[in-house]
Amino acid sequence: MKHKRNQPAPLRRTQTWPAAVRLCGGMIAVLAWFGFAAPSFATLGGVSATIEADRAHLAARSSTVVNADYTVHIMTLPNGGTVKEFERSDGVVFGIAWRGPSRPDLRQLLGARFNVLQSDIAVHGGRRLRAPLADERSDFVLHSAGHSGAFVGSAYLPQMAPSDFSISALQ
Amino acid sequence: MIKRLCAIGAMGLALVLTACGGGGGGSGGSTASTGSTTTTTTTPTLTNFTTLTVDSGPTALTTNPNGYIDDNIAFVSVTICAPGSTTNCQTIDHVEVDTGSTGLRILVSVITPSLLSALSTETDASSNPVGECLGFVDGYTFGSVRQADFQIGGESVANMPFQAIGDTGVFSTVPSTCSSGGGTNEGTLLALGANGIIGIGVMATDCDAACTVPGGYGAAIYYDCPSTGCSSIITRAASTTAPFQQLPNPVAAMSVDNNGTIISLPAAPTAGEATMTGTLYFGIGTQTNNGLGSATVLTTTTSTSRDGAGLITVDFNNTALNESFLDSGSNLYVFSDSSIPICTETNYTDYYCPTSPVTLSTTLVGANGTSAPASIVINNAYTFFDSTNAVVPGIGGSPASLNQSAVYPQSFDLGLPFFYGRNVYTAIENRTAGSATGPYFAY
Repeated sequence: MKHKRNQPAPLRRTQTWPAAVRLCGGMIAVLAWFGFAAPSFATLGGVSATIEADRAHLAARSSTVVNADYTVHIMTLPNGGTVKEFERSDGVVFGIAWRGPSRPDLRQLLGARFNVLQSDIAVHGGRRLRAPLADERSDFVLHSAGHSGAFVGSAYLPQMAPSDFSISALQ
Repeated sequence: MIKRLCAIGAMGLALVLTACGGGGGGSGGSTASTGSTTTTTTTPTLTNFTTLTVDSGPTALTTNPNGYIDDNIAFVSVTICAPGSTTNCQTIDHVEVDTGSTGLRILVSVITPSLLSALSTETDASSNPVGECLGFVDGYTFGSVRQADFQIGGESVANMPFQAIGDTGVFSTVPSTCSSGGGTNEGTLLALGANGIIGIGVMATDCDAACTVPGGYGAAIYYDCPSTGCSSIITRAASTTAPFQQLPNPVAAMSVDNNGTIISLPAAPTAGEATMTGTLYFGIGTQTNNGLGSATVLTTTTSTSRDGAGLITVDFNNTALNESFLDSGSNLYVFSDSSIPICTETNYTDYYCPTSPVTLSTTLVGANGTSAPASIVINNAYTFFDSTNAVVPGIGGSPASLNQSAVYPQSFDLGLPFFYGRNVYTAIENRTAGSATGPYFAY
C-alpha cells in the first residue's frame, strides 16, 4: 500500500528527445550529458533557473531516465550522493529527491519554496521535537529523514505532477 | 529493608547482565562496595564508563521564560581543559549523547571566557581559522573548530578538535552553503536544548573521505575563515589521531576502549518518569564490563555507501524500510503508519495519538542480513506529554498526514525510547569490536 516501489512506467516512444536518448532503446533510456548544454527547464517552483544550473551548482554528473510522462534527471554529487529532478514532458520540474551523506543545497533546488519551508518549520511550538524537515501544503509537500552522514528526502508540487505519476516513484 | 532488597535486586541484575556479557551496572570498584562477604577484587577498578542521565535539561533552559523541558534526551558531563593544563578546565553538564552524529560540539556561550580564550582555533593552509557546519535532520550547527584536552569518565583525548557552536567574530555569520541545507540554526541553548552534543555514531570522523577532496563536503562542511568571513570550502584530513583536522569521533580518538560504545539504560515505566540514570560504556569487548555477549550484530551502511553511513533496514508493515537507523539523539520514534491516529491538539499534530497503546511488530535487519525482532509500543503523545516527566517512552512522531504518507522516505528512526531497557552497542567503522567489525549496531 505505501512505500511500495512503483513499477517503471513504459517508455514513451514519441517524445521529442535528442536522438541519443532514443538510441538507448529498451524500457529505460539513459543519457549521460556530463555538463553539455541542456534545454532550459524550470527548477521546482520557479521558471528562470534550470536543471543544468542546478547540476552546475552541485558540481554533479548527470544522466537521464525517460519514463512515459516524465523524465528523471539523476545528478551524482562529488560526495557520492544523488539528487533527482522530475521533469514533466512540457518542461516543468514537479519534484526532486535526494539521498547521500549530506542534505543538498535546498535553497537552490527548491527555489521560492525554500522560504516557504523555512517559514513553515519555524512555527513549531511547544516541546522540542527532534524531527526531520517536513512541510505539507496543498501545493507543496516535502519530507525527509536520516541523520548526520545519511540524509534522504523529496519534495514535489502535487498540482503540477503528471496525472498518472505515482508518488512512490519520488525517491 | 526495602533499601536492602533493592540493593540485592540491583546486584542480582548486575550479575545477570555480566553473565550475559552485556554492559549494565557499574563493575570493578562498585562491586566491592555492595557488602558481599566474599569480596575478591583482583581486577583493577574500571573507568571506561560515565553516567548517563535522562532529565529535563540544562537549568538555564528549564528556567528560561521561553524555555522548555527536554524529553527523552540522554546527557553526559564532559570536561575540557586548555591544552596541557590541569587547572584551566571546565566540566560541561547536559551534553547530549548522539549515536546519529559524530564529533563533540559545545555551545560557545556555556564555556567560561578564561577557558575559551585558551582554546586555540584550528588553522588551515592559509593560516586562517577553520569554521565548520554540521547538518542535522532538523537543521544545522555552525561555529569555529577549537582544540581542547578532553575527558569523559576515565577516558581522555589530548588536543581534540571540537565545534564551538555559535562562536563570535568571523563565525557569527553562517555561510549560505551551510544554511542552504534548510532547517533551524541550532546555535543557541533554546534551539539546541542542550549545552552540547557528543556524537558517538558509527563514523570515525565527522566527514570522512567526503571532506578530503577539493570543494568536498558531506555530513560536515569545513570553511576557510579569513577576517572577511567564512565562505570557501576547504579540505580536511580524516584522522583519529593527532594531528587532527576533522572532528574525530571522541571514542575513536581515545587511546584505549576506542572501537565503540554501549548505551545502557533501564526500562522506563509505561507512564514515564521524571528522570532516569544509566551508563555509557566506552569500548566493546575491551574490558570485563563491555562484552558483546549474545547481542545481535546488525552491520550498517558505510561512509562510502551511496546513501551514507549508519543505515539498517527495518521490516515493518510488510515493507523493508532500508533507510532506518538507531539514533539516541532522536527523542522519539519517527515512522509512517497511516493506521495510527495523529494528534489533533495544537502543537502536537506531528505526533501519534492512538486512543490506547499500540504495539508495533518490527524486525531490524543489518547489512549483513542478520535480523533481530523488536516490539515497539506507541502511546498517546498528547496524554503522555502532559506532565513534568523527562522520560516519556512510547512517543512516536508522524512525519506525514494520512494523505501524504507515501511521500515519507523508507525510514524508521529508532530514537532514544528504543534504548530504554536495552544495552545498545554502536561500533565504529573499520574497528574490530568483539567478534565483529564496525560499523554496526547491536542489542
